Amino acid sequence: MSMTLQTTYTLAAMVATFVISSWKSRSPEISMVITAVVGALVAGFGFPVRLLVEGTLTYIDLALQFITASLFMNFYAEIGATNALVRNLVARFYDNKWLMLFLLAFVMLIPGAITGAGSVSILVVGGLVATVLEFMGFPPARRAAFVFIMAILSAAAPPINLWAMLMAAGANMPYVGFNTILLLPVLAVAIFSVFYFGRGTKPKPKAEVLAGLPSAARGMTWWRLALPFALLLLLILLSQYAAHSIPVIGLPLTFLLCAVLVMLLDPERRGLKRWYDVTIQTMESVFPLVATLVSVGVLVSMMALTGVRGLIAINFVTLPIVWIYVTALLFCPIAQGSLSYGSAAILGVPIIFRFNSVGINVTVVTAALALMFPLGDCVPPSRIVARLSIEKVGFKGSYMEFIRAIAVPWCVLAIVALTMLIFPRVFVPLTM
Amino acid sequence: MNGSNIRKLIMLLAFLVIAGFAAAEFLDLRHYKETVVVSEAFTEKRMLSEWLPNLKNTWGDTPVYFYDSGKPGATVLIYGGAHPYEPAGSLAVYVIMENLKLNNGRVILVPRADMSASTQGIVGHAYPQYLHIPTSWGQKVYRIGDRETAPLDQWPDPFTYVHYPSGQNLAYQDLRNFNRTFPGRPNGTLTERMSYAFMELIRNEKVDLTIDFHEASLMYPVVDTYVAHQRAEDLAFMAAMLCQAEMPMRSEVSPKNLRGLTHREVGDYSETLCVLVETAEPFIDRVVGRVTEQLMIDGKDEFLQRAAEKGLLYTDYDINNAQTIDTRVGRLLTSAIELINVFNMMYPDRAIDLWFPRYTDIITNGMGYYLHNPDEAVPSRVFLN
Repeated sequence: MSMTLQTTYTLAAMVATFVISSWKSRSPEISMVITAVVGALVAGFGFPVRLLVEGTLTYIDLALQFITASLFMNFYAEIGATNALVRNLVARFYDNKWLMLFLLAFVMLIPGAITGAGSVSILVVGGLVATVLEFMGFPPARRAAFVFIMAILSAAAPPINLWAMLMAAGANMPYVGFNTILLLPVLAVAIFSVFYFGRGTKPKPKAEVLAGLPSAARGMTWWRLALPFALLLLLILLSQYAAHSIPVIGLPLTFLLCAVLVMLLDPERRGLKRWYDVTIQTMESVFPLVATLVSVGVLVSMMALTGVRGLIAINFVTLPIVWIYVTALLFCPIAQGSLSYGSAAILGVPIIFRFNSVGINVTVVTAALALMFPLGDCVPPSRIVARLSIEKVGFKGSYMEFIRAIAVPWCVLAIVALTMLIFPRVFVPLTM
Repeated sequence: MNGSNIRKLIMLLAFLVIAGFAAAEFLDLRHYKETVVVSEAFTEKRMLSEWLPNLKNTWGDTPVYFYDSGKPGATVLIYGGAHPYEPAGSLAVYVIMENLKLNNGRVILVPRADMSASTQGIVGHAYPQYLHIPTSWGQKVYRIGDRETAPLDQWPDPFTYVHYPSGQNLAYQDLRNFNRTFPGRPNGTLTERMSYAFMELIRNEKVDLTIDFHEASLMYPVVDTYVAHQRAEDLAFMAAMLCQAEMPMRSEVSPKNLRGLTHREVGDYSETLCVLVETAEPFIDRVVGRVTEQLMIDGKDEFLQRAAEKGLLYTDYDINNAQTIDTRVGRLLTSAIELINVFNMMYPDRAIDLWFPRYTDIITNGMGYYLHNPDEAVPSRVFLN
């Protein structure tokens, strides 16, 4: 049997297993692991114990980031700081709807832009933004959509765009020339999204909102509110601008330090038992996401082993360039949905080389792809950013309702990225 | 205990059993030692930590093998294993170590430049752990590791890597990439310290020519190519011409704005002439099919053939005559020999006279022919790496 045939059989078996397993178990995480095991068995690799366990570790850093960022924000909420912050924001900016919305968009864009992860934006400020949006008359689906779109834009925004960095690393090209070409499309889509989401909403009267908000906790001063975020910003900026003067602590420890600071700033001096309870609650709430990351890692590992990853990649990159234009908005988001950041290395790098072979500016191509991959953060099986947005906002509607809510800004970003891919010469000046 | 907790407990126990079996395999790779029988020209084994003591007793320390004729001539440093998932580099250095004949000058060989990276697989890519090379007396087994220093030895990663001293931003995981951290820092991360120690080795031992062995994906434009620092541009260009007698080879100059790589920083921060060699490895392209040891050895892959037919590869590829591990090791060996030959022509006062197998020898006899049986060797010439 030829390898192509064997790999195609394996892919078919994996798809069938995933569909049946999802239907029976109702758990995409368990279904992904079962799919991975079936893939290995069908491909003749038996039960590859080491590779299955190795796969669980693929996204361990990301999982730690989710856990620690959630801990930080839940600690912050526990001392009443989130409520106080929302109260202050409403008191100061609520009178001007558009100013308020742009401020919220800005607040969402910053954490993801400087860490490269949209999930960090959601975990750190998503809940706060969603609360204010609710007061401003945003229906639940639109709140989740606002948070999601700003999160993916924040991940795509410079200075840190992980997809572009991973593609640049894979193609051995410097990560330079990306700031303007990423910033302008992100800003354009963000501005459009603010107007799109903000259209027709009627904010509740300010007095009513303030009356409905819990009163600020006793002793909750402005510096108690600001210091944890100041520390977060300081540690992140030091990592970037004083990288050679401080040890590498990574984002998980950064968030943990901020969480510890929140404990120290607590005006009510809660006991350790209370913090333990909050930690357990946080772990319970983050656990499904961590499970997704672990199972996606296992699936990705088995897709590589069995050649299914290669089958998908070769079928895409051997398409004529015109067909790459036509299908990029299908393949890139699907790859992101199933491979997370791995999509950049597996699909992105071959596409860069493909375009390079016909003399197209690879910086523009990389930037275009780096705007396309985040679109897949709402695509199953992982859809991590979408799930985070939905959970953080507390949206209870159907997933299709959420998809409909994000559709227009999603398409605008997709069109911008595709335009960059098809007409790279127009965008070359932005890489200077 | 209710039913839900019992189910959780059973799942946990099942996972621990599976994880236990996996851990045994991880540990096996972590502590597996490769055997090398050094040639009679060998004189001394030293450790990289001699050039930076804070590397001692870390997984960043690695053996450095000296072959010193005691007669005047150039000092040449050849190393592989900067990226252990490109195993031909380490194997080529082992072949040199086992067969080098040296009439004058000095050769320094490092088969495992990033020792740590060779002790752990790449998560998520399902790589095999070992490469078995057949010989007339049995199999010789080598580690296939990661591209980067193991997270067990350097963790966590930053959210972005700021290269020292240029300040250029690189992908976060490149802080564990030995070939992105040059010229290194004496008090930096483990990988930066390793790079710094290499710089110190090159500067203190007055290395005239540095050759860094790598493998590249076939869809990568810099494949079957010398990449030379600008001071070594002529050397690499002429060597590439000499290579044509046995195999196609190209040369290009190190880009000045791509930081952290040997061909840029080693050239900038020392007097040595530095050249990196890339040979085609039909394994690390993300479009390949089944990821097996067999593919790493015979290089036969239908998907790469399709890519070749579509003109997507930067080197020739024919599934019936693919780049086997022998071909790739042979290419690296001839690449090094021709660099040394041109060096001798350009700097006759420092010429070095040596011999080790080249491409044609490896293709004719197979690599295994040049790997010796440690059981039959003089014990003092057998090293575990």
